[in-house]
Amino acid sequence: MTAVEPRAAAGTREHLVRQLVGLGGTPTLDTSPASNAVTVSVPAGALEAATHAAAGISGVRLADMFADDGDTTVLRLVWACEADEPGYVITESQIAGGEYSPLSDIAPAAFVEECEIYEQFGIRPAGGKPLNRVMLPPHSGAEPPAGRPPGPALPTLGHQPAQPPAEVHAPHLVGGQAFEFPFGPVRQVGVESLYYGLVTSGEEVVDLYLFTWHKHRGVEWRLRGKTAPEAIFLAERAEGLSAVAVGWAFAAAAEAAARVTAPAAAARTRAVALELERLYNHAAATAALCQATGLSVGQAAAEIALERLLRVNAAAFGHRYLFGVVEPGGVSRAPDGDVLRRELPGAYDELRRAADALLSTNSFVDRLAACGILTAEQARRLGLVGPVARATGLTTDARLAAAGPYADHPVNVVTGAAGDVFARFQVMLGEVAESVRLITRFLDDGTAADRTLIPSRAGTGLGWAESPRGEALAWVALDEDGRIARARLRPGSARNWRGFDDACRSQNVFTDIPIIEASFWLTVAGMAR
Amino acid sequence: MPLWFARGLRRGVVTTRYPARPDGSAVSLPTPPAFRPGQLTRQTADRMIAACPGPALRRRDDTLIFDVGACTACGRCARVAPDAVTPSGEFELATTDRAALVKTIPILGGSDEA
Amino acid sequence: MKPEPDEAEAAQRLRDQIAAQFGRSLHIRTLDTGSCAVCEQEIRLLSAPHYDLHRLGFFFTPAPRHADLLLVTGPMVRAFELAARKAYEAMPGPKVVVATGACALGGVYRADRFVHGEVEAVLPVDVWIPGCPPSPLALLHGLGVAVSRLAEKVPDLTFVADGDGGAA
Repeated sequence: MTAVEPRAAAGTREHLVRQLVGLGGTPTLDTSPASNAVTVSVPAGALEAATHAAAGISGVRLADMFADDGDTTVLRLVWACEADEPGYVITESQIAGGEYSPLSDIAPAAFVEECEIYEQFGIRPAGGKPLNRVMLPPHSGAEPPAGRPPGPALPTLGHQPAQPPAEVHAPHLVGGQAFEFPFGPVRQVGVESLYYGLVTSGEEVVDLYLFTWHKHRGVEWRLRGKTAPEAIFLAERAEGLSAVAVGWAFAAAAEAAARVTAPAAAARTRAVALELERLYNHAAATAALCQATGLSVGQAAAEIALERLLRVNAAAFGHRYLFGVVEPGGVSRAPDGDVLRRELPGAYDELRRAADALLSTNSFVDRLAACGILTAEQARRLGLVGPVARATGLTTDARLAAAGPYADHPVNVVTGAAGDVFARFQVMLGEVAESVRLITRFLDDGTAADRTLIPSRAGTGLGWAESPRGEALAWVALDEDGRIARARLRPGSARNWRGFDDACRSQNVFTDIPIIEASFWLTVAGMAR
Repeated sequence: MPLWFARGLRRGVVTTRYPARPDGSAVSLPTPPAFRPGQLTRQTADRMIAACPGPALRRRDDTLIFDVGACTACGRCARVAPDAVTPSGEFELATTDRAALVKTIPILGGSDEA
Repeated sequence: MKPEPDEAEAAQRLRDQIAAQFGRSLHIRTLDTGSCAVCEQEIRLLSAPHYDLHRLGFFFTPAPRHADLLLVTGPMVRAFELAARKAYEAMPGPKVVVATGACALGGVYRADRFVHGEVEAVLPVDVWIPGCPPSPLALLHGLGVAVSRLAEKVPDLTFVADGDGGAA
């Protein structure tokens, strides 16, 4: 079974839904007014054909896959339709018997999720293909150490797998001696804990695999039983550097489940915060690129811009990292528009000056060009998002599927072509200019601290937002009391780390790895959550 | 040679005096709450405790126990009890004694069902 | 066994000497036990021009053997415990452990099968720095407290507001 190559057919959401219905699927009634997500119930036997159909439509991307326990285990796939009518289609299948059709053979973008689902719910793709350890450490399930008081009743995690997942190490492809160099999880100063399994023949990166489970906090399980307003506190801390994006995706999912929408002025407030988040993240990525290339002056210049942007955040929204702004139903506070209009241009100019100086520094540009190349085909196959995908030429941006402020002011999506570190850097710089333009538009239209009350009613909903590192998705199922039965958080990092080994493998050496990591600008927290 | 350099060489001081003056940007930083005991009733306190997303607030009879170490300055307690809470303005909170971060605040407003 | 008065005095003199030495040249190792990544960003900004920890005699080092102070973020995810102990034990004494951020102080994640909930569950903590995240200014104050260069403020704060507000 080989990966499906998409035919050059126009892909729309309706086209996909029609195909799914043709295979025996039943769309569930979705009365949510602003929801761009359609749920189709697909029988387990038709899941393989349904995935085949979806993966074969050009403009349809596998955005997420996750499971839920209950009387039977339910497997959900989220497909992003990015052609003329941007939106999402969710397929829902009841899996009995512990196995389902292997999907990552058809859609390689599903492999990491297949591993994760096996660890956490015990269901696996048929065929016995080896799976990796993703979320749970080797000693998971251990009791708390003796002497510590037992915690409160823990939410059920789901079935324990019948056998432990096999750990797969990359095959040594290079003729001659290649050895594995373990690095981490404690790494350089001031970076997150992350384990690299580096397979090298000396200097060249033959292969690279990552263990992110050192930071797995089980955030999704902690959200169970909470109402959406109680849960946003943890949801925005799943990946703190995308607090606005993940918070917005979660809040929108809860609103969709409760069949309400946030007021327009509150949506614009969210958009202002989201673009401010993009600005400071791209400044931080610029500083990290300079640090990785040993350019101290550039790093200092970018850090000055970053600090100024964080102070703009604090002055406008009361928190340097914009925590606590997004709430289910709306926002808790409106930005101080006068302060924002006054302070943002200077901070942006600081970043612009640093960027211009860097772009005219030949040694810097040479270092980034042709480093860490990803092709559009690799990005598409793995379902990558954000600047990483856009730098290869793909026009994927969750803001294109958003109603409200982004529909009023369509985003000029910045893409690259070369797919290397330099292209990713240029995409980020283009996005920074676009963010400043959008913030001005949203402020002109008016922002407010406003909220729609979330009624206590059962339902499911999907939410999304374009984080600085790509599409952040969230899905919630609420019970009749408005409490979370299942919450799924999928920050952009959870999508894009799987592209990191491909990017590092293409003709790169050790010292390229920090540069490529800075150009991806992901977080381990967003993957591990 | 500049005076500070000569002085430094002679005294062997190699670092800056810190802080030389307060940092103007600090005014917009979020800070833990300060409470008004006269505005606190048992019910107000319990509402704040319910609103707090962490273990920073507890009540024992007529005492509010506030763990500054657990506080994230999220502001939810202030939103449910705006008369009883005001920003403390303090953000230099480091200590060598964990217990020094646990504060007791008297609840002097009595009970709402007096 | 309580130290004799002479021993206690000698121990205090040694502590003062160490603090004086650290106050002039301190090497900091960072340790992420499961943070949301924002505390790390604030820590990285300590070497940025606005804050510049070097002017205060503080330096970052990636080598545990050179480190004097371990700056720890995150709620001590259980899967990380072995790495945390190894990082701590790899540092030669005298050494200082600083837990920074609400997660590290037990304010965000209650202990469960995935996390301990606070750094002190695994490592002996000497200094606690509250905040979510602690800003670079708060971190600089905390580092100053750790080397006895700056006075602690919080023991004297009551977090009781009089009618005009402000922490008395």
